[in-house]
Order: sequence, then C-alpha cells, then structure tokens
Amino acid sequence: MAKRITKHQNFELPNLGEEISFTFNGKRIKAFAGDSITSALIASGSTLLSRSFKYHRPRGAYDVFGQGHESLVMVNHEPNMLADRIQVQNGMVVKSQNVWPSVEFDLGEVNDLIVPMLPNGFYYKMFHKPKWLWPIAEHQIRKVAGLGKIDVAGTHVHRRYEKHYRFPDVCVVGGGPSGLAAAKGALDEGKQVLLIDDNPQLGGHSLHSIFPVNNCENKSLNGIPENQAVQKLIKELAQNPNLEVMVNTSVFGLYEDNLVAAQSGPDLFKIRAESVVLAPGATDRHLVFENNDRPGILTARGVEKLIMCHAVLPGEDTVVVTTHDGGFHTALLLKGAGANVVAVVDGRESGSAGEFEEQVRNLAVPVYKGLTVHAAHGKKRIKRIDIGPISGGDSHKSFDCDLLVMAVGFKPQVNLLSMGRKRPEWDSERQILRVTDLPSGMYSTGEVHGSAGFARLFSEGIKTGKAAAKKKSVESSKRSEDELIMALPADIESGGKNHFICKCMDVTRFEAQASIEEGYDQVESLKRYSSMGMGPCQGKACHEAVARLAAKDTGLSSLDAVPTTMRPPFSGVSFGVLAGRAPHLSPIRRTPLHQCHIDLGVKFLDAGQWKRPDSYIDPQIEVGYVRNGLGMIDVSTLGKIEISGPDAIDFLQFMLPGKYGKFEVGRTRYSIMVGEDGILFEDGTISHLEQGKYYLTTTTGNQDAINSLFQWWLLVEDFDVQVKNLSLANAAVNVTGAESREFLQKLVKIDLSNEAFPYMHCRQTSISGVPVSFYRIGFTGELGYEIHFPAEYGESMWNHLMTEGEGFALNPFGVETQRILRLEKGHLIPGTDSDALSSPYETGVGFAIKDDKADFVGKAFLQDFKKRGIENKLVPYQLEPDDPIPDDGVAVLEKGKIAGRVTSSRLSPTLKRGIGLAWIRNEMAETGNNFTIRLANGSDVVATVLDHSAYDPEGLRLKS
Amino acid sequence: MSFQLNCPNCGKRAVSEFTFKSEFKNRPSPEAEFSEWTDYVYFRENNMGRQIEWWYHRSGCQSWFLAERDTLNNSDHKSFWYGDLGQHSKKSDGEA
Repeated sequence: MAKRITKHQNFELPNLGEEISFTFNGKRIKAFAGDSITSALIASGSTLLSRSFKYHRPRGAYDVFGQGHESLVMVNHEPNMLADRIQVQNGMVVKSQNVWPSVEFDLGEVNDLIVPMLPNGFYYKMFHKPKWLWPIAEHQIRKVAGLGKIDVAGTHVHRRYEKHYRFPDVCVVGGGPSGLAAAKGALDEGKQVLLIDDNPQLGGHSLHSIFPVNNCENKSLNGIPENQAVQKLIKELAQNPNLEVMVNTSVFGLYEDNLVAAQSGPDLFKIRAESVVLAPGATDRHLVFENNDRPGILTARGVEKLIMCHAVLPGEDTVVVTTHDGGFHTALLLKGAGANVVAVVDGRESGSAGEFEEQVRNLAVPVYKGLTVHAAHGKKRIKRIDIGPISGGDSHKSFDCDLLVMAVGFKPQVNLLSMGRKRPEWDSERQILRVTDLPSGMYSTGEVHGSAGFARLFSEGIKTGKAAAKKKSVESSKRSEDELIMALPADIESGGKNHFICKCMDVTRFEAQASIEEGYDQVESLKRYSSMGMGPCQGKACHEAVARLAAKDTGLSSLDAVPTTMRPPFSGVSFGVLAGRAPHLSPIRRTPLHQCHIDLGVKFLDAGQWKRPDSYIDPQIEVGYVRNGLGMIDVSTLGKIEISGPDAIDFLQFMLPGKYGKFEVGRTRYSIMVGEDGILFEDGTISHLEQGKYYLTTTTGNQDAINSLFQWWLLVEDFDVQVKNLSLANAAVNVTGAESREFLQKLVKIDLSNEAFPYMHCRQTSISGVPVSFYRIGFTGELGYEIHFPAEYGESMWNHLMTEGEGFALNPFGVETQRILRLEKGHLIPGTDSDALSSPYETGVGFAIKDDKADFVGKAFLQDFKKRGIENKLVPYQLEPDDPIPDDGVAVLEKGKIAGRVTSSRLSPTLKRGIGLAWIRNEMAETGNNFTIRLANGSDVVATVLDHSAYDPEGLRLKS
Repeated sequence: MSFQLNCPNCGKRAVSEFTFKSEFKNRPSPEAEFSEWTDYVYFRENNMGRQIEWWYHRSGCQSWFLAERDTLNNSDHKSFWYGDLGQHSKKSDGEA
C-alpha cells in the first residue's frame, strides 16, 4: 500500500505545508498544501485516476509529470486538467472523466473483454457499409469515447482569459540544471533572461537526485548531492534583477522568428526572444510488455518525485526494472523511504556496476541481470510480475509486488526542438532520438541530447547560454561515457495482445503489427490507421516507442527509426486561452457621444470595432419619429477626410469615378469609389467647403482603409495634395425629419431655407459658439442636415441639441432604425448589398461614373463593364402586406433554380410590408415584375420589383 | 506566419501589425491594352524566393513602405521607402 512517510534515511523531507482537504469523485481526501492532486490521491490509497479511451481499462498515476493521459480529470467543473500538475486547494472538487457509472466500476470496461472484436481500423471497417449505420454507430461510440464534459452553459466556470507579451533577450525553456545553467550563462553576459518551467518549482529532475556532484566547473557545488546543488544555483540566480522566472507555465509552441507561446492558467504568453534556449530534458522511456498499462506501474522519476517532493511512497513491495545506474538510485531512495525492494531487474547482461548498484547490492537486494519484465498481473492494481529474457520465450521468475518502477533509459523531449520543422533522427551512440539542426536563434542543451551528470549539464548549459547571449553557434564537445545516458531499451522482442504502445488511444503492439501486415508500414500511415499518438498526449509519451518498435516490426534497423511529425501544441491548450482578449490589437472604439447614448438607455451594436447605437426603444417606432417629425442619429463613426493643396481637384478626379470640373464652393456631391478592378467598394459624399478645401465622408467600415489608400496613391502618383484624416477629430450627427429646418434655424445664424441652402449643399456656421459644418444630404429620405463639429464638444453638443429639441419632439434613433429608413428609400450599403463581384453599373450607381475623363482609378475595367452590359442587377422590391419577412441573404428562385439573392430585408413600418434589395438576373429586373424568394423555412414568397424606392420615389420630401 | 518585419520608421515588429498589399508592380500606362490591365490587377508572380512587396504599418506609424523578402523562409528581408526604390534596385543588381 501507498503511504505518507515521515522520514528518509538519505535526505531531509520537504515541509508539506498545512493540512487541507478536497473531494475526488465525491470522497473527501486529506492532503497537504504542497501536494499535487496525484500525490494526495496516491497518499490516500486511491489507485485509479481514470479509465482508458477505448477499452476503459483502469489507469493510475504513471509519470507524475502530466505527460500522458492518465491524470486527466475534471477540476471544479473544468475538463481535461492534469492532476499531476495541479496543486490541491482546500475544497477543490475533482472528478474522473469518461467513466460510467464510476471509475471503480465502469461498464465501458466490457470493451476490454471484446478486444478481439475491436481490431485495428475497426471503425473504418465495421461501419463503412451500409451507409445508414454510421450516424447511429457514431452516436453510441461518442457516448463511450471522448473526454471530459465542457460546462457549455458557463454555470460553473467563469474565467477571464488574457494575452501577455514578453520580449526578453534570451528565453530559456526548462528550469532543470541545464536550463538554470543556460540562464546563468546568458545573465553573466548581461542579458535579460526569461526562464520558463511547467512545474511548480525550478530544479527539474535534480530536485529528486542524491547523486553527488563531481568535477563541476562551479567549485562550490562539488561534493554535495544534486538536489542541494540545484537549490544553491536557484538561490544564486534569484538575486539577479535581469531574470524573470515563470513556473507552472507550459511552452506549447515555437514559431518563426523565435516566437514562444506559453500558457499559464488562463493566461497566454507570446514571447519574442532574440535567442531561445531549449532545455526540456528527458523523461523515462516507455516499456512495452503484457499489461504494461496497469495501475501500480510508475516511472522512476515519477516515484522519485513522489518521495522527495511529496513524502509519498507509492507502494510497498517494489520491483525496479532498469538498464542504467539511475534505476539503482531509485531503488536506494525507495529503500531509504522504507519500501521493501523485492528485486532490481537489470536488462544489461554485463558491465561494471555503478556507484548506486554497489550500494543496492550492499543492502542485500537481489539483482537480476540480462532480464526484463514480461508481464504484469492484477487489474486495478498490479499484484505480481513475471520477468524473463529480453528475447522473449518463457518467463524465469515471478514476484509478488504492488509497485513496478520503470527506469529503462530516457526519452528526450525533442518535441519543441522539432515542431514540424526538423525531424528527429536516431543516434545509435546515445540510443536516443535527437534533433541536431535547429533554426538560427535557437539553441538546445542538456538531457535532450542525452547528456548526463550535473557537472556536464552545468558546463554545457553555461556554454549554450553564453552562445545564445552572443548569438553565436555552440561548438560541440566530446562527451565521455559517464556524461551520456546511454541506456538501451529493454522491451521484450515478441509482441502481445496487451502490450500497450500508445496508452492514450489503447493501441497495442499486436495491433501495430497487424496494421503493418495490412500494408501500413510507413510510420505516418501507421499512425493514422492505428491512431497511435493521436490521443490527448499527442505522442509525447509514446512517440519514441512507436518509432523504435515500428522500425523493428517493419524489419528496419534502429537507425531508421523515425517518429511522426511533431507539431504544436506540445501540451494541451484551453480554447479560452487561444480566444482570449487582445484589447490593444482590436480596441473597443466608442464615439464621443457614447455616454449620451448610455444615459438614454441605448442598446449597442458592434460595427467592426465600434460601439454604435442599435436603437433606443424599438427601431420600428423610431422610424416613425423620423417620418413624422424629427430624429437625430450619431454618425461620428463616418470617415472624414479633408483634402487640400494645389492638386486637390486633380487628385479627386483621379481617385473618384465622378467628374468634378464644375464643383463650386458650397456644393456637396454623392460619390462612389471603385478599385483598379472597377468593383464598387465604397460610397460617401464629397463637399467643397472652402476654396480648394474638400471634405470627404466615408462609411464607418472603410474609415481607416480609405485614409491608407489615399496615402498610398499620394506616394506613387505625383500630386501636390494634403490629406488630413479628421475621422476622430470630428463628431457628427444627422438631424432629420420634416421639422429639422425649423428646429435648427433657431440655433444658427445662416439661412436654412430651401432657396438659400438647397439639397446637396454645405455650409459652415456655429452653434452656441462651436464651429460646425452642415451638409444637406438625405440617407433617410427626409429633409435632413448632417452636422459635423469638433469631437471635444461631442457630449455637450448632443445634450444641447436634445434640450433645444424638446419643443419639437426630437428623438434619438439608432443604426438599425437608419437601416430601415434607407431601405425604404432603396439606398444600398456597399459591402452589405454589394460584394467583390459587383460592378457599379449592375449595382445601380452607374450614374456616379463619368468615364469620358482622363486616367482615373478603375477606368479600364469600368469601360469594360460598360461594354459587357448588365447581367445581374441590384433592385429594390416590396412584398404584399402580411407576407413574412425573409432573412437577409436568402435565395431568389426562378423555375426552381437559384437566380439571385436578397441582400437586405426589413419590415417597413411606414409601408406596413416587407421591403428590401435583391440581386436578380437582368431579364427579371423590369419594374413591376414578380420574382420568388425562398424563405429559410422552405416556403416561398413573391416580391415585386420597384422602379426607384418604396417610399417617396420622387424625392419630394428630401428636396422640400 | 509569425515573423518580424522591419518598419523603416519603427524598427522590427511582429508581422501581425502590418498589412500586406501586394507584390511591387508598376501601374500600366493609361493607354495600355486591356489585357495589360487584367494582368496588373489579377496576376501574381508568386515568386519562390526574393521579391519586393508593398507593406503598410497598420498598427504602428501607418506608413507605406517596400520590403524585399524571401517568400520561402522570410529570412533576411530589407525594408525601405518607395522613394529609395531606385537606390535599392541598384544595390541589389550590384550584389547579383
């Protein structure tokens, strides 16, 4: 049984902190503040953490570093959290996932009994035909497979995800001895260093090592055990103000130009470093044998961590299987914690005994040479293991035990070094997969290259850190034998039914071999067919075993062992983290009148980055305000560009398709804009405010784009023109309705009469001393004045107008109201009613083009459009009263075939029927023609093509 | 695409701050054949290797500039103002 220990023979146990408790599957578990969920569960005697994905086999703690899938649990309603990584908190609610009814008694386990019926490629083969079976089967499969449940409704989980940025000189990934040394090397060169580790503490595996440090170039570290040496190093570095340390932070991706992506809880860090040093280290190699997935089988480094960081002994009767002296180190730690080490099984036939092997032998622990584990027995916890020769055959011996420790060499964490760019290769000298060639600016050091021993890791780390600081290459140096890990794998050579290679997806060596038989003998196709390495750990735990065993089973030499491509993310990333806010990249933009709208109880609408008033009461009612009296809308989001200079008019002639030869001061013109491709993308007004000074308004969405477009043209064409972007400098409102003249005349000194200030003219004046410009235009179809004024007067001007308008039934209206108003007038909105294929002629704004002038933007294509004639046309239409209102975007049909689409559709409160704009084929577009609109619910409605607009077609109200 | 681009004003910034316009091309003369215009508007060289491109520092100084970039690996690009195009071309020819 597992238990908490209070003393250890070889070292001082850590302070575990205060006593707390949490629940696991409803059961109260006692723990200490310093525990991870896993360590607390093991200490409490819980063996089962989860069930496997496919066969629902019981799974327990394995590597205790959160590499594999075993420790995935729900924590406080959040799915797929790694119990190995999460520090317990008082009152935490932890649950198993993918189990029914419970992790102890899971009915899905029946899958395990029918394994022979679930061969590899089962889903492909079984449900391929008949076709109707798949949806039913899929439903059942999804019920038993899959991971935790997401709290979709958000009733339990409230989190705010943020993005952060860092720009260190050197970013060191991995806080073990190599990473610490690399950080020191770079700090010694005077650089700013960011050191990241995914564990709660720095120190890496050295925290659990009592190997004495010898021959270290830092003399003060010699003679003490590694766990003390690393603490000393951490303490020294902590003094340096140029170092930032991030723990509990996992680097999940490395991208072009040294962009490091890391997650820490709800925070995403985007780190751009001059140099990146990767020191991710290595983890214990996976060992493949019968029932190698049973609870009670743990990795050596996991066991060492449990003992030395959590004072937890994960079992009593222990067998250690190893191929290097490190396994004896683990055996010694177990022994010192009071475990009964039944045997150490050493895969090596011969060779001189290492320092720890000697000590273990002196303690009279039996050591078996040249053997490995053949099988484990016991279901929810191992009870017994069989050992025998690596070549297979009969087992030699059995031991009763409840803990099997695997120390069969290391698997460097090459994922971050590879990341889809460089494929690891097998290094037969070091017996590991290595990535030796990194993109420039990236460095790597330590166990990831098979280096071993504190002194070696330290000197290599310092050297790499210094090189990274200077952006120079590192010269490789020869390693002596004891500076390399050099441990051979020890999997038995024959495959078997329950020899799990990939534990996440429950793929056995037997299945892998069968897939190879079927012809999937390339590692990439083997992976896709068998789904090895496609589970939650994404091959972190198994890629090395897959590469080695696939090479062996396809008859290749170990030199040809290649893993499948390693891509980001290296560790699981929450969707929230990826979707998190980046307010500085996409700010929320508010108009100068924002607070006025809030005070009026507005409902806001998101228009790009802008918050605009959607409506204040109800758009249908607000339309009535404008049609029957007086309304006011905030149009501050319009783009406003002032153009002046000697060539201003030539520039406008060039940029816009209209003609401006006789454009007098005080006039305002409607204008469209097209690209060089002749496609309509924008409309607005252009006014001649003062001699040589023009004022252009653009739609909200194109505010920035048009300014930048003008800047570009001024760069490449020779115009002596100043373009001033006043979009944010000016606020603007549109006061519209039959009473607008009478109302505004009270406030200004200029004459607003129709004779003195006709439609499509502009004037400059002042209201209460504030300079304003008036534009008499009519998007709403009523008499109206667009008033522009300095943004700093925004609120006071709005409030002033509202107060002065009290005698006139002045009401504010929003953007949705305006959309209905303009649709009643048949006005289009480019981008809403037009798209990237819309010629202005087909869109019905050909009147704004005068192509008989000299060179201008889009001339060649506009002339071609004109030549080609009109195929499709944007037309206003109306429905019969009481007809249902189509959704925007639904299809127009002719003889059952699609012949167009509706772009805007609304109920007109003025005309009491549906109105809209639709693209239809030209031959259907004659005034009075009927066409069919197919509604989203499948029924049809008949629309009638209108000549001009549904409301006031003559424009009498507008020009009154 | 996570590389950094050099803005002649602001220096090295993440590419996400910029807007790419197009490969650098000269606008046809107003008298050009229509086919020349369609080539100009719709055809791209899509060079594998170095090419000169228009970029706009949208989230920065809002300047237009040209950058010579290796489309294969984004390495070793050079940014310069449009006005310095002649000087840049001369230098590049010299190197070749």
